[in-house]
Amino acid sequence: MSGAAGTRAKQVTGGSFLIEDLGPHDIFTLEDLSGVQKEIERTTVEFAEKRILPQVAAIEQKDFSVTKGLLRRAGELGLMGIDVPEEYGGIAMDKVTSALIADNIAVCGSFSVAFSAHAGIGTLPLVWYGNAEQKKKYLAKLASGEWIASYALSEASSGSDAMNIRTQAKLSADGKHYVLNGEKMWISNAAIANLFTVFAKIDGEKFSAFLIEAGTPGLTVGPEEHKLGIRGSSTCPLSLTDCLVPVGNLLGEAGKGHHIAFNILNVGRYKLGAAAIGGSKIAFRNGVRYARERTAFSKPITSFGLVQEKIANCAAGIYAGESLVYRVVGAIDASLAELDENAPDFSQQTQKRIEEFVVECSILKVWCSEMLDRLVDDTLQLYGGYGYVEEFPAERSYRDSRINKIFEGTNEINRLIITGWLMKRAMQGRLALVPAIQRVMDEVIAGPSPREERTGALAAQYSLLADAKKLTLFCAGAASQKYGAALAEEQEVMGALADMIMEVLVLESCILRAEKMQGRSPLAVTMTRYYAARAFSIVKMSAERVIGAVAEGDILRTQMTIFRRLSKHDPENTVALGREIAAAMTEAGRYTL
Amino acid sequence: MRILTIVRQVLDAEESVRIRDGKVDLTSSKLVVDTMDEYGVEQALRIRDSGAAVEVIALAVGPERNQDALRTVLAMGADRAIHVNTELALDPIALSTVVAQVAQREKAELIFCGGQQADWDSHALGAATAERLNWPQVTWTNALEFHGHSLSGKHDTDAGVEMFSVALPAVITTQQGLNEPRYPTVPNIMRAKKKELRVEPLEQFGAMPKLRITGAEVQAKARLHKILDGKDAVAAAGELVRLLRNEARVIG
Repeated sequence: MSGAAGTRAKQVTGGSFLIEDLGPHDIFTLEDLSGVQKEIERTTVEFAEKRILPQVAAIEQKDFSVTKGLLRRAGELGLMGIDVPEEYGGIAMDKVTSALIADNIAVCGSFSVAFSAHAGIGTLPLVWYGNAEQKKKYLAKLASGEWIASYALSEASSGSDAMNIRTQAKLSADGKHYVLNGEKMWISNAAIANLFTVFAKIDGEKFSAFLIEAGTPGLTVGPEEHKLGIRGSSTCPLSLTDCLVPVGNLLGEAGKGHHIAFNILNVGRYKLGAAAIGGSKIAFRNGVRYARERTAFSKPITSFGLVQEKIANCAAGIYAGESLVYRVVGAIDASLAELDENAPDFSQQTQKRIEEFVVECSILKVWCSEMLDRLVDDTLQLYGGYGYVEEFPAERSYRDSRINKIFEGTNEINRLIITGWLMKRAMQGRLALVPAIQRVMDEVIAGPSPREERTGALAAQYSLLADAKKLTLFCAGAASQKYGAALAEEQEVMGALADMIMEVLVLESCILRAEKMQGRSPLAVTMTRYYAARAFSIVKMSAERVIGAVAEGDILRTQMTIFRRLSKHDPENTVALGREIAAAMTEAGRYTL
Repeated sequence: MRILTIVRQVLDAEESVRIRDGKVDLTSSKLVVDTMDEYGVEQALRIRDSGAAVEVIALAVGPERNQDALRTVLAMGADRAIHVNTELALDPIALSTVVAQVAQREKAELIFCGGQQADWDSHALGAATAERLNWPQVTWTNALEFHGHSLSGKHDTDAGVEMFSVALPAVITTQQGLNEPRYPTVPNIMRAKKKELRVEPLEQFGAMPKLRITGAEVQAKARLHKILDGKDAVAAAGELVRLLRNEARVIG
């Protein structure tokens, strides 16, 4: 892998953010991009602005020749080969670079989905599990955009429970083919794909993946779904009727397809987080520029407080999201940096290292998709009635955003993963969560202790972060004391804990990034202070929900005393901070730092 | 043959200009290659792409950050780059002494530079360089063909368009419409890392600016927020035309 990253983040283990405090120089931020990464970012931005945006109307009309042409052009620019080794026509670079591309190419939801379905989940299974022959045959074509890839896992009756697929594969009598039968649903890129990665169970048992070329007899692409959003992307059912797949097209080992499915999802999730940032930036730019021009009562509407509040919420959301995404992907790069790319088990090691960040990948997916969803709602509101009609871009952004909370694992499934995975690791002793919980329990039971004294512009936010971590650990401890292993069945409690865990990671990322910029961006400090208020209110609300569910009587009273001690903070003047943020964004006419 | 293309780094058109202590403040602003200069780079690359034995050299004069602009141009396809490093702000006449000396030393036969510059609309650099070298110059070029030892093309004049041919060596200044500059592909960005970027001090060129910028202000026009109520549509239309003509002066 090319060592393009200018600065390396500290090596951390997944989930350690809850129990370990990092310093500003331990994390990667967008300000650490190398010259090469900045160049690639610029090329992506140029491509998005000059090639994709002028074609949005045609893309939305499902003129797939336009989408295919753009994918081809992206391939020629090298934007689809970041995760592909050089010997197969790729460029093999770090994950921050591929996140930068996913982020900046996301100016149109439909195209962004087609791009990710191809370059991400469509291509990666082959990169990681393909044998030399398969890679030689297909990979260069995919990296160049000459061929389009599609990933077919979901079925009508199995979505999040992917292991329950019904599609069957049977070895033919002559042993030369697998015969596949079944139906797939919601397959992105189905109508434009040349190569499908299809999951099926051999003999109804062995969960496996197959590479199937478009046009293979027995493989039929069904009609396009009529969707709420991303209407310009292709989503169809696939039907397999005695579809003959050469045995050489079995991907990876028979019966080990679940490794492919799950490891691909981790990458899909952090890229979805990055793409949500790109979607937010363009929706925000459109909204702010409209608001600047729109007058009411003889004044531009940006002079009104409640409009400024929306602008501030959106901007702080983008800042927090950027801080979160690049910190996590930077940490993944730091972990991958020491791998030997020539080692025979390089792909396996890569997946193992990425799997270490399961919790963080799920957090990126959930948090960023929900931030984007709030943002497209707020920016639509800036347009008033015009937001509700198709003539203006807010309507499309609003519809396009929604899918992000559904695909790549619903946000509900991902919340269960966030809490469940951390708890599991704690039980296995792989993450020192239990001693950390014990320390917080001891500390709070011992009575009030003076808070650590800090100075500086973000002193109050450091204090919020410290207490947010304690509240999260305290609630996790209280919940596991009450339910033990049965906590997994208490989904609402798991969800509330996930919300706390997410906000801890986001808030810490905001603080450390602002700190790392050392005053070069006063706005970063302002937005951190602004966002911290929201983060802590979510932590407080979720903590109350957990405590209310797990305790009663005297225990409830004791726990609420502890809760009150940890959650007692003076409020920031978020009205003034919000006005300051809105003024800067309005002047810039886009998100700026 | 060698082609020298001048690269200037300017504030991205999306950025707003900030002033601090009477100077344009560029810290944490997004800087890009001046689009006018990109036309020149693109034209040089097209000449090379047509099969001519040409080496394209990019030259930037200014503080260290200019190396980012040169890396971009190398990633577009320039063969090598020279950065004359200085914190001094050179006016176009002083800058032309550097450009002319580099052109002579590198034995360049064709120089491209943007007609204007996005942040200092002087239009003098091409002319001053041509004068120092005693070369012909063509301004406002919007079409160009290469014929080995000469060029032919079109350029705008006040009244219309002129067709020209010019023998090399020559200085060409560009304008919008000459071509559509390419943007770097990822493989070329990676290749550019290995290309030569030579850094030289300004002192050896003896270029001292006689012109100094002593202060700067951003002209901010407050919005008037004039609203015509339109109860009488005909009168409102008349008033609108009057305002556009006499006050805003955007129509004749």
